[in-house]
Amino acid sequence: MIQSLFQRFNWKDGLLALIVPLLVLVVWQSAVSMHLFSPLLLIPPLTLVNTLLYLASSGDLTINIIASLNRVLIGFLIGASTGFLLGLFMGLSPFVDRFFGPVIKAFKQVPQFALMPLIILWFGVDELAKFVFIGIGAFFPMVFNTYQGVCDVPKKYCELARVFNYNGCHYLSKVILPSAMPSIITGIRFSLGLSWMLVVGAEIFGADTGLGYMMACSRNMFQIDIVMAGLVVIGAIGFGINLVLQIIEKRVLRWRITSDQGAKGNS
Amino acid sequence: MNINEKIKVQVIGIILPLLILVLWQYVVSAGYVSYHILPLPGKVISKFIRLFTQEKLLLHIAVSLKRVFYGFFIGTVSGFLFGLLMGLSRTSEKIFGPFFHTVRQVPLIGWIPLIVMWFGMNELPRILIVAIGAFYPTTMNTFAGVRSVPRQYVELASVYGFKGIKLIRRIILPSALPSIVTGFTLSLGMSWVVLVAAELLIETNVGIGKLIDVGRETFNMELVTVGIITSGLLGFIMTKIVEKLASGTQKGMVSDQKQ
Repeated sequence: MIQSLFQRFNWKDGLLALIVPLLVLVVWQSAVSMHLFSPLLLIPPLTLVNTLLYLASSGDLTINIIASLNRVLIGFLIGASTGFLLGLFMGLSPFVDRFFGPVIKAFKQVPQFALMPLIILWFGVDELAKFVFIGIGAFFPMVFNTYQGVCDVPKKYCELARVFNYNGCHYLSKVILPSAMPSIITGIRFSLGLSWMLVVGAEIFGADTGLGYMMACSRNMFQIDIVMAGLVVIGAIGFGINLVLQIIEKRVLRWRITSDQGAKGNS
Repeated sequence: MNINEKIKVQVIGIILPLLILVLWQYVVSAGYVSYHILPLPGKVISKFIRLFTQEKLLLHIAVSLKRVFYGFFIGTVSGFLFGLLMGLSRTSEKIFGPFFHTVRQVPLIGWIPLIVMWFGMNELPRILIVAIGAFYPTTMNTFAGVRSVPRQYVELASVYGFKGIKLIRRIILPSALPSIVTGFTLSLGMSWVVLVAAELLIETNVGIGKLIDVGRETFNMELVTVGIITSGLLGFIMTKIVEKLASGTQKGMVSDQKQ
């Protein structure tokens, strides 16, 4: 796969893509050299790199990254798994759909951060509150995408399954889940992306570890180098999460691509 | 679906809200849960009325809506232009696209500490962060809409000698409109979410987010509950309005095509 990536890599496109980043760097560096802004507000690009290296070598960064990732992982697992189960049942049974649907749609209207003060009052300021906050955020994309995926399973598949006399478990694992998988994976991606944003917000609001805490703390002490370094790190991790999910998506959905091609070949 | 069945669907849908309400009322009035933790439903309603008539709920709402409006306007206009540019010219997509998608990876809320350092604790950073939130969905959907204009339309336009602005106005924009409108709707939802976060994380005196946080600081659960419900309702109403407007523009397009 990596080899094919290199083969597809177009040098001209690569150079074009470098124009803006280089321009930003040049403007940034010259703004620093000409002392256009106070050094409290703008640090040289090289200082940012040094700060990143320093944070990485001192171990601070690792501790904060692990703290943030830990929160995201647990909150996401709680929220996404309940969301998945509820979405699945709502998709399978019209009764469950009608029973839970209106309430879930009403709750979805509330902006996630509006719930933060309530969650803090109920669960305190420690880890549990953050798991709940992230869990609620991760829940909604997962419910709706799983539900949509299950609803969109073609009728003919279900009929075929009935002809073959598939029982409940078989029906789920051989027909419903594979067919709904693209939509479910989309749900996982939205849900994990949102979780990553929410954890940063929750940590800025109040925490004693984590990347958001690191940034909020440095903001109060006017250490702009650490704030910018934090921005780079959360961006890089967001990028990494997305990349991993894309690779998983390609792996899991490989059958879909080949069956599509097969369909094209037949027609 | 006949009327009987419709009624049945609505009845099933109303069971859970009623159940929640009854359970809520019961656990509090029976003393299982302190009313400091969970206020009685009736108290929430009377608090809402009091806020509305005496404690300037409308002012908080107006300030929040104003922030969302400015941020949304700046974000969607610049996002629309940027998406249009990248959609129309493949070279500009190659120049700006990779940078755009890299910067987009930073979670929106992460920008708040930096923006606050640069612009201080005032209205500007709040509006700016809402604008960034509104910028991404509009950019991406405008881009996708422009790119999916059927080739035949563009070819037909070139036969008629449409060029430049005329081509964009008469062919590209009408064809890309549904996707652009989707972008606006997503942008609005994002703006509202980001605004509430900004009102919590960037010190302010007014706004619906601040109202909820005041409720937390003073341990006033009724205020917190009213704030949450209000923020949800406002988000819902705004989305509905934009969806109405959107279906209006699309109807206009269909009738245009008929002519």
